[in-house]
Amino acid sequence: MNAIAIERGGRVSLPGKRQQTLALTYHRLMLMMLVFAGVTTLIVARILYLSVFAAPSDGGAAVNPLLPARGDIVDRNGVPLARTIDAWSIAIHPKKLLGDPDELAVKLNELMPEKSVDQYRRILKSDKTFVYLSRRALPELVAAVNALGEPAIAFDREPDRLYPNLELGAHVIGYTDLDGKGAAGIERALDERLSDPATRGTPVQLSIDARVQQALEAELAAAMHKFSAIGAAGVLMDVKTGEVLAMTSLPELNPNVPGKGSMDARFNRITLGVYELGSTFKPFTVAMAMDAGIVKSLGQMYNCSSGLRAGGFTITDTHPFNRACSVSEIMQESSNIGTAQIAAQLGASQQKEFLKKMGFLDKVEIELMERGRTLTPGNDWGEVATMTVGYGHGIAVTPLHLATGYAALFNGGIWHPATLLKVGKDHPLPEGRRVFSEDTSYKMRALLRLVVTHGTGKKADAPGYRIGGKTGTAEKVQGGRYTGNAVVTTFAGVFPMDEPRYVIVTMLDDPKGTAETHGFHTAGWNVAPVVSKVVSRIGPMLGVQPRMDTDANLHEVLPFVREGN
Amino acid sequence: MIAQGFKSVGWVAAVGAAALGCYMLSLQVASERAELAKIERQIIAAKQDIRSLQTELGTRGRLSQLEHWNAEVLALAAPATGQFLADEMMLARFETQDRTVEDRVKVRMASHETVTAPDEAGVTAQPRLIRAAANAEPSVQPQAQPLFRKASVETVSGKPVATPVRTASVTSTEKSAPRKASVEKAAPPVKKAEAPKPAKSPATQVKSAGLLSDDVLGDIVDAAKSETRGGSKATR
Repeated sequence: MNAIAIERGGRVSLPGKRQQTLALTYHRLMLMMLVFAGVTTLIVARILYLSVFAAPSDGGAAVNPLLPARGDIVDRNGVPLARTIDAWSIAIHPKKLLGDPDELAVKLNELMPEKSVDQYRRILKSDKTFVYLSRRALPELVAAVNALGEPAIAFDREPDRLYPNLELGAHVIGYTDLDGKGAAGIERALDERLSDPATRGTPVQLSIDARVQQALEAELAAAMHKFSAIGAAGVLMDVKTGEVLAMTSLPELNPNVPGKGSMDARFNRITLGVYELGSTFKPFTVAMAMDAGIVKSLGQMYNCSSGLRAGGFTITDTHPFNRACSVSEIMQESSNIGTAQIAAQLGASQQKEFLKKMGFLDKVEIELMERGRTLTPGNDWGEVATMTVGYGHGIAVTPLHLATGYAALFNGGIWHPATLLKVGKDHPLPEGRRVFSEDTSYKMRALLRLVVTHGTGKKADAPGYRIGGKTGTAEKVQGGRYTGNAVVTTFAGVFPMDEPRYVIVTMLDDPKGTAETHGFHTAGWNVAPVVSKVVSRIGPMLGVQPRMDTDANLHEVLPFVREGN
Repeated sequence: MIAQGFKSVGWVAAVGAAALGCYMLSLQVASERAELAKIERQIIAAKQDIRSLQTELGTRGRLSQLEHWNAEVLALAAPATGQFLADEMMLARFETQDRTVEDRVKVRMASHETVTAPDEAGVTAQPRLIRAAANAEPSVQPQAQPLFRKASVETVSGKPVATPVRTASVTSTEKSAPRKASVEKAAPPVKKAEAPKPAKSPATQVKSAGLLSDDVLGDIVDAAKSETRGGSKATR
């Protein structure tokens, strides 16, 4: 050791000093060892800790990957009507562009022709940091754009709302805006329920039946096209629960691209549009009078011989009787004169009271937010107004009002609010309120069946389905006055009439006469056949079996109808 | 002594082994857990796949598309009122029985005699008679059989409508007089065969003959030819 020390340092170390140095070295070594031991212990302790305590919580479990970004909407049978999917988006960071903008603009235009080369060039040369080129791009397009090899182009997956059935039930379901917030329909009405993480896991089940909706939409669209109408609307409701099984407003709208639809297409004619629905109001007037004890028999006679003077004008009929007519005949031939007299007997206050109970004076009750305000005579509700309201003029309500009114009239007299949610244990049937007596409700069955078998609504009949209903043709108000040219035709029907289950209301906005209808544009010619077609398509689906051996009790009304009208 | 010296080493080894064992165990658990997590991830991925495929399927097979296909290709319409049936009885009405092989053979048997005997009454009478003979076969002596056939041939050759069978049986008894007992045994079946005959009026027989189609008649002719060649099939 000594020699080594001498060799190394070339110096001579004293024994005392050497011992001191040695002790110091041991100390340092010990310290180092302790440090190492400590660090090792720490690491081991940490590992043990992690393995014991941290293992169960493996990061991703907190967020359920199956939880959609927004809740699904399904129909009453579970058919998806709205879903959220992961869509590809293509965007570009113009500032980070490496390639030649002119060249790239041409290539982008080839792949995505919705923008011109100039527009692409402008985007690429702008000093924006981020611009979307395409949202909801197809995977093939994404692959093709990726093959361009431009690093400034970014691809991302973002949740996007998809409506698999396109136009089907667009006005019921509604649509979302670009931020994924509900902008119309159920999407808007139940926005909170659909976006709340606690509730969005279970889909919202609507009362809509997609098959019924499709049948109604297809037949209405066909009629709208055939009669060159500017719009159409239809609703089918369960009489007893108020569940809406189908509800459509045309022209149709594709909720996947709501921005491309016109204002007219986005307008919901069923709940937002208010119309004077004309003669379809007459059954209400008769039922009110029956309930109030004014009409005691369906054979009660009224003077229908000539035009009825009311205020400054004369009420006339399209099929004048020129004689006394019974209540049954008034309904059968849709007599304004007769109905006006019944309404006048009833009086304004009673009429108002009934209409109030049926919810006709308020906004229609349904989950949607797009609801129109009823137009009523207001303070001018005198005798003339009572008469005109009696046959559906001077009061404008939504077609859905009419459907809920008919439902109340034919389910035994109990009014229920319309609902778009399936009635079940999550959504119990709300308690209704009695509007008409059961007896009145029963008598109305034969009366409206008569309209279809012997009256103005013959074309609405579907063999075996026992449809009953009422036609209505109301002139549209244009520039503050009624014109004979433009009309709104409506058919409000109920089936099967011997045991009412469903009410169907169809409406055409401004249908034109055709050669087939001999130039007529009244409801019996254009909108009634729609009901016949729809009911014969959906009847079997709804469990209504066509039967020829049963019908409403027409013996109650036929004795009061004179043959050969 | 040496063992004493290695005691500490032994302890260290034991503790080391135990620690290693524990570690291996926990490693095993951890790997199992990782496997489970992996499968869970796969399940989730599969569910997501199912969902997206369902969505795609639903979109491609949307109702408006189906309606379009129906209008363009299938042209199916809603069932009409008459197509709904109230109960099983109504359904049973729709059952139209195809003639089975058995039925066709029967027809041929009856009509192949028609060829040999144009008289229609004789036509129906004959197979019965022959069948009766066949039934009687076990009890009747073998010699009795050709006798019956002979008798039937006699019937055909110009006896009146209702009676031929009985007369046939009478002739047969006459001819087989020595064996009276056996013939008496044979006779009752013949009468039995006779009994249902009056129930069938000549009119229905004519009607059934009129229902024969051309190809059945063709079969009859063939059968008649083969019979003349190879003897009566009825006695087989």
